Amino acid sequence: MHMPSLRQAIFAAALTSVALVPGTAFAETLNLWARSSSSTAAQHMIDLWNATHDDKIELTTITDNQMVTKLATSVQSGDVPDLISFDLIFMPDFMKAGFLTDLTDTLGADPNQAKVAQAFRDLASYDGRLYGTGFTPDVSILLYNKDIFVKAGLDPEKPPKTIGELEAYAMQIKEKVPDAYGYYFSGSCGGCNIFTQAPMMWGSGATLLPTSGDAPALEGPGVKEVLTMLKNLWEAKAIPESAEADTGSNFFATFETGTIGMVGSGGFAISAMKANHPDMNFGIAPLPGIADGNQSSFVGGDVIAIPKGAKHADLATQFIQWQLTDEAQLEGLAKNLILPSRTDLADNKYFQEDQRYVVTAQAVGIGQTPYAFHFNDMVNADQSPWLTMIQTAVFDGDVDGAIEAARDAFHAIAAQ
Amino acid sequence: MGDAGVVRALRRNAGFLYVLPALAFVGFFVIWPLIQLVQISLTDTSLLGGGKYVGFENYSKAFEDKAFWRALWFTARYTVFITPVLMGLGFALALLTSANRPLQQITRGIIFLPVVIGIGSSSLLWFWLFDQQVGLFNKILVDIGILSEPAVWFTKVDMALIAVIISITWKVIGFGMLLFVAGIQSINGEIGEAALIDGGNYWQRVWYIILPLSLRVILLTTLISVIGSMLAFEQFYIMTGGNPRGQTFTSVYWIYQNSFISFKLGYGAALSIILTIIILVFSSLQVILSNRSPSQ
Repeated sequence: MHMPSLRQAIFAAALTSVALVPGTAFAETLNLWARSSSSTAAQHMIDLWNATHDDKIELTTITDNQMVTKLATSVQSGDVPDLISFDLIFMPDFMKAGFLTDLTDTLGADPNQAKVAQAFRDLASYDGRLYGTGFTPDVSILLYNKDIFVKAGLDPEKPPKTIGELEAYAMQIKEKVPDAYGYYFSGSCGGCNIFTQAPMMWGSGATLLPTSGDAPALEGPGVKEVLTMLKNLWEAKAIPESAEADTGSNFFATFETGTIGMVGSGGFAISAMKANHPDMNFGIAPLPGIADGNQSSFVGGDVIAIPKGAKHADLATQFIQWQLTDEAQLEGLAKNLILPSRTDLADNKYFQEDQRYVVTAQAVGIGQTPYAFHFNDMVNADQSPWLTMIQTAVFDGDVDGAIEAARDAFHAIAAQ
Repeated sequence: MGDAGVVRALRRNAGFLYVLPALAFVGFFVIWPLIQLVQISLTDTSLLGGGKYVGFENYSKAFEDKAFWRALWFTARYTVFITPVLMGLGFALALLTSANRPLQQITRGIIFLPVVIGIGSSSLLWFWLFDQQVGLFNKILVDIGILSEPAVWFTKVDMALIAVIISITWKVIGFGMLLFVAGIQSINGEIGEAALIDGGNYWQRVWYIILPLSLRVILLTTLISVIGSMLAFEQFYIMTGGNPRGQTFTSVYWIYQNSFISFKLGYGAALSIILTIIILVFSSLQVILSNRSPSQ
């Protein structure tokens, strides 16, 4: 057998002692998975972190619709990334499945966490424990074409404050502006409509998705009213015919054609419009409800969490807490015209030059996100009860029947 | 056993040893995953957990799943409509391009070109070509007077089906054509010459010589085409999204929805097994028919 020499033994002992002394650990590289639609925002944060820290973070972009499969497979195989940024609506399912690390004792005690939008704090909690926080938010807003408003005889500085006004404005645009439509929505996209139509319902007081088989679903004011408004606009041809078949591909593109008066959209639209259509005069407003003051929005975007079994959970926690600091929120997000997840930073120096960013950032504070298990089944699936309800109500004209059928289907799914 | 015995045993089993690598490959990459699929189909496995044995519950649920049978029926309709188009057009193109002259060779190459494009990319391309507002296909139809105004192709099930059939025909027609060309070129030239001497015109030679002697290739191509159509997914996922109102869901699309949108892997596996059995039965019938066809 080969015996180690004295020099080798001393060298090994020295290495061991270095590893055991606190504070002398080598710099690590952490892996962060982000879905493709939020990877640009995530990269800004990572670049800022990497520029100021010894430990580095590497981004792996995952196709949006593969995130659930990849995370589930990685957790089951034990080969998980250190951090994961994903669509916040999956948070309840992932927490319930035990995929995520409990951050209650660390992140829960962080004073910055209390300043994060309520929707993120709610969605990241399960059974009184905290599993993540906001990372790269987006929020739904009403996007409107000011030039079309002027042509229709509407005041471009007064967007609709109620769904009644929205309907009246859309009808007026259809009537007064040739080749223009008053409103647009993607009629075959469940996710697009929970983002843009649902806030008009829950802002008015409605409860949409049930958390259990006997919890309220599609109850309260707003559901029938919003569906009726959409039906009226469809029947009056104030919505283009192509809306019925749009699976989300034209969710934003149709407004870019300059023929749409108003559309529910997301905060991302401001930068996209300014970059692609610098000459188009557009405005931003909160999504209205039945009455003035019912304005609301859907707080979407990504949460950040640590998958169970992550190798560098402590460092990953440090990153999560760091990304909530003023420096990260302002220099990593706001500076790049991306919404911060902390509501106290909505009105920041970078947004001052364009009030439309401030309006959008403030919508994060008034917005909600439905807390539901089986969200995909209820909403996102290509023939989900939510989508079927909208299609039946708007395109077939049976509002009451559509709501009734969707309520039953929601309860059946929630009871699983 | 002595050396002579070993050699004898090796000789006796030489055939088996030669096919062993292929058997191992098929066993590992086909049989073993299939066994696992059957196992999963007997559980309540979800992407989020589960895995409890539930016997044949998924199968009995599948037989009551109207959406699955409706999707299967739509898939069969799609297969019935697209198969004659692909076979007829493919054979016609093969007749036109089977000679090995430069023009025919170039034409074959051009027609085959879309085959090498991914089906996702081609579906996305056609999705935009059919778009009501910016679609070039609609513009051409309006310009030549077939349509009075741009059509919305994906709000009516028949229109959506036609749109997908057009896109897939463009995409795969070259593959069928190439197989037919190979079949036509393998026919002994003397048979055609004899028919020519006997006074047979072009269509008589096609009907009485080329067609019967290409029957095995036609059946093989039909088999490949039918299986491909029964497993259709990407083109509908990208172009129709199952619309209108879920009427253009194919069987595989429905399996995908259950497995990866609703996370029900166990149920999705059961649906996959049922679809596999259905395709296996029809494919076997076609193979039996193929074996009965005349050969040269």
